[in-house]
Amino acid sequence: MKNPIFRRLFLFLAIMGPGIITSNVDNDAGGITTYSMAGAALGYKILWVFIPMIVALVVIQEMCTRMGAVTGKGLADLIRERFGVRITFYAMVGLLLGNLGNIMSEFAGVAASMELFGVSKYVSLPLAALFTWWLVLRWSYKVVERVFLAACLIYFCYIISGYLAHPQWGEVARGLVVPSFSFDSSYLVILVGVIGTTIAPWMQFYIQASVVEKGITVKDYTYTKYDVIVGSIMVNLVAVFIVISCAATLHTHGIQVESAKEAALALAPLAGTWASTLFAIGLLNASLFSASILPLSTAYFICEAFGIEAGIDKSWGEAPAFYWLYTILIIIGAGFILIPKISLIQVMFWSQVVNGVMLPFVLIFMLLLINNRDLMGEYVNRWGYNLVSWTTVVIMTVLTLLMVVTSLF
Amino acid sequence: MEKLRVLGEFFFSQIQGKPIYDHQARKVGNLRDLAIRWEGDTPRVTGIKYARDIQKHIPLEQVARINPNHIDLLHELNEATLVPLQPDEIYMGKWLMDKQIIDLKGSKVVRVNDIRLFWLQGRDQKHLVLNAVDIGWRGLARRLGVEFLFRRLENHLVWWEFIQHPEDKTASLRLRGEKQQLDQLHPADLAEIIEDLDYKKRADFIEDLDVEVAAEAFVEMELDTQIEILEHMGSQQASDLLEEMPPDEAADLLAELPEEKSVELLNLMEPEEAQEVRELMDYEEGTAGSLMTPEYIALSPEITAAEAIRQLRTLAAEAETIYYLYIIKEEETLIGVISLRELLMANPEAQLRDFMQTRLIFVQPQDDEKEVAEAVNKYNLLAIPVVDDESRMLGIITVDDVLEMLVPDRGSLETFASLFVRKRTMR
Repeated sequence: MKNPIFRRLFLFLAIMGPGIITSNVDNDAGGITTYSMAGAALGYKILWVFIPMIVALVVIQEMCTRMGAVTGKGLADLIRERFGVRITFYAMVGLLLGNLGNIMSEFAGVAASMELFGVSKYVSLPLAALFTWWLVLRWSYKVVERVFLAACLIYFCYIISGYLAHPQWGEVARGLVVPSFSFDSSYLVILVGVIGTTIAPWMQFYIQASVVEKGITVKDYTYTKYDVIVGSIMVNLVAVFIVISCAATLHTHGIQVESAKEAALALAPLAGTWASTLFAIGLLNASLFSASILPLSTAYFICEAFGIEAGIDKSWGEAPAFYWLYTILIIIGAGFILIPKISLIQVMFWSQVVNGVMLPFVLIFMLLLINNRDLMGEYVNRWGYNLVSWTTVVIMTVLTLLMVVTSLF
Repeated sequence: MEKLRVLGEFFFSQIQGKPIYDHQARKVGNLRDLAIRWEGDTPRVTGIKYARDIQKHIPLEQVARINPNHIDLLHELNEATLVPLQPDEIYMGKWLMDKQIIDLKGSKVVRVNDIRLFWLQGRDQKHLVLNAVDIGWRGLARRLGVEFLFRRLENHLVWWEFIQHPEDKTASLRLRGEKQQLDQLHPADLAEIIEDLDYKKRADFIEDLDVEVAAEAFVEMELDTQIEILEHMGSQQASDLLEEMPPDEAADLLAELPEEKSVELLNLMEPEEAQEVRELMDYEEGTAGSLMTPEYIALSPEITAAEAIRQLRTLAAEAETIYYLYIIKEEETLIGVISLRELLMANPEAQLRDFMQTRLIFVQPQDDEKEVAEAVNKYNLLAIPVVDDESRMLGIITVDDVLEMLVPDRGSLETFASLFVRKRTMR
C-alpha cells in the first residue's frame, strides 16, 4: 500500500457504506412510484429538481455522519440526552408509527413486483419477510453492509431501462438544467411529492447509527463525506432515469399511471419487455432492500432513546430488545399486506402525514445538536455551512408541510 | 462521623420547575436545575439554578425547606450572595438526567430516567445528596407525567455508590463494582474481556486499569487489537503503556504503527526505555533480532554463588526470564551461562567462573526465526542468547516468543469457537 492513491481508494472502499446505503433506500417503493408518476405526468421538465436535491441530501446526511463520528452516539441518543425524555418519547412514538406505515408500503412493493412475475403475494411476502429477518439476524454488520451495497448496484437496472426507452437526450439535458415552474396545482402536487420523498426522518437516524456501529471516527471521517456525496449523486441519477423512462414512453403517449406496478406494465408495449422487466426487478430490489433497512432503523432509534443495547454485531442474547423490535416490525409490516382485500391508501396517507410533521423537528434538533460545542467541539458547523443547512431545512420543511397539506385536502 | 437525619426524599422530576419562595412567601423563581459537586461516592447539591437567564445559583445553605411542591428559603434573595457554577461542579438536570448507563463490559443497559435525592439534616447544616438513579419504567412514566398509571410497579433504583465518576460530562455513566476484581484476573483472561469489547470502549477500559495490569493484559492480545487500541488512546497513556511492556513487544507494536505515531510515542517514553525499543526496531521482521529482548540477567564471572543469588533478588523483577544467568566479561562479551538450578546447587562460596557452562548455544540477530526455533527445540532451552560477531551479548529470545511464532493461528481459532458457542446459545 505504498501508493497514496491506492491507499486512499482502499480506505474509501473500507469506509463506504452508510452514505450510499441510506441514500439508495430513498428510492424505495414509494419513491419509485412518485418518480414514475412524475415522469408520466410532467415529462422531462421536472428533471431540474434533482440537482438541488443532491445538495440537500449531501448537506443533511453529512451532518448526521459528522455527529456520529465525533460523538460516537446515535441521533436518538443525542436527542434524549439534550432535549430530555418527554420530547424524545413523543418523537419516538411518532417516528415508530410513521415508519410502520412505510414498512408496510415496502412489503406492498415486494408483493406488487412479484405479482409482475406471476408470484402470488401469499408466497412472496412470507419468503421476503423471512429473508430480510434472517439476513440481519444471521450475519455480522460487515456482511449485511456488503449485501446492502450489492443491492445498491441493482438500482442500475433503472439506468438500462431508461436507456432502452430511447429518450430524446437533448430534451433530457435541457430538462436537467433549465428550471421550469408552474402554479398549476397538479404540477405543484407532483413537485412537492418528488421533493418530499427525498428526505425522510428515519434516514437521519439510520445513517448516524450505521456510522457509529461501523466504528468510524473523526480520523476516517473525510472518506465518509465522499461516501455521502457518492450516495447522493447515485440515488438522484437513478431517480432521473426512472423519470426518463416514464417520460420517454408514457408521457409522450399521454398515459398516466398511479403506481410503479402500472408503470412497469405500461412500459412493455412502448419500450419492450426488457425495459419493463428491468423496471420490475428494480422495484423488487428497492422494496426488499428498504423492507430490511426501515425496521432496522426503527429498532436502532427506539433502543437508543431508551438506552438499551442495539446493533447488528450484537447477538440476540446481548441485544434482545433490538432484535425483538426488528422481528415484530417485519411481522406486522408483512402481515398487514397479507390481509386479503386490504387497502394501503389510508395507511400510506397517515404515515406520510406523520413523517411530514416529524421531519422539521428532527432537522431542527439536528442543527441544534451539531452547533453545540459541548458535544461537537471544533466540529460544529461553520457559519457558511449553517447558512446552507438552515436554508435547506427551511425549504424542506415548507415543502414537506405543503405535501402534508395537499394530501389532507 | 456526622449524624444525619432524613428530612425528606423525592425525585428530581418532582421538584424540577417547582416555585421557590423567600421567607415572606414571595416567589423568587422556579427550580430549573441543581448544581452538584461529585466528590467521593455520593454527589451533593451545592446550589439551585432558579431562573433561565441568571447564571448564578442560590447556595444550598440558604434553603430552609424542600417539599415536592415548593422550596422555601431562609431569608430574602440577595443578589450578592449568589454563586456561579464552579469548575468542579456540573448541572444535574443537564448532564446527568437521561444519560446512558453502561455496565462493566461497556454494554448499554439503560438510561437515567430519574434521580432520587435525600434531604438530610446534619449537625449544623442541611445536605441535599443524590441517593439513587431510577432506571425503571415507573421513573420514565413519572417524567412523562403519567406515573399514576404505573403505581403498581416498583421503582427500579441503582444506588449512587455503584456508579463511577465519568471522566467528562459527555461520557456515559459506568456501573462499578468489579474494578478491584479485574486487577486480580489473569492477564490472559483480562485480555479476552478487552478483546470482546468494541473498539471505542477498549481504550477507555484500559485507561481505567492500573498501568502494570493493563500492560500485562495488553501483551496477551493480538497485534491487530493492540494497534487498534493504541490508536484510540491518548498519546501519553499509550507511551506509559509501552514503557511497561517488554521492549521486544513494544518494538514489534511500534513497527506496525504509522511512522509519525511511533516517533511521537517514542519521544514521550522515558529516554532509556525508548532507546532499547529503538535499537530493537532496527532489526528486520522474522529475524532473531526482532524477537529478542534486552531484559536478561547478566552477572560477573568473579562473584560467588551466594552473591549471585543476592543480586538475582534485585534483578529478577525487571528480567524476562530468570532461569538462565548469563556470565559477561567487560564489553558485554558472553563467556558462559548458568541455570538457576545449577546456581542453587552450587557451593555458596564457589566463584561463578568455576562452574559456569562454557559450551554456548546462541544465535545471531540476522538469523531467521526458524533457526531460532530449531535451536531452542534441539537443545530444550527456555531462552537462547543473541550475540553479535564479536560475541557481544545483545539480548535473549524466550521460549514463549518462539511458541507464539510457531502457533500463529491461535487467535482465529478461538474466534471461531466463540462464534460457534454464541450462535448455539442464541437458539
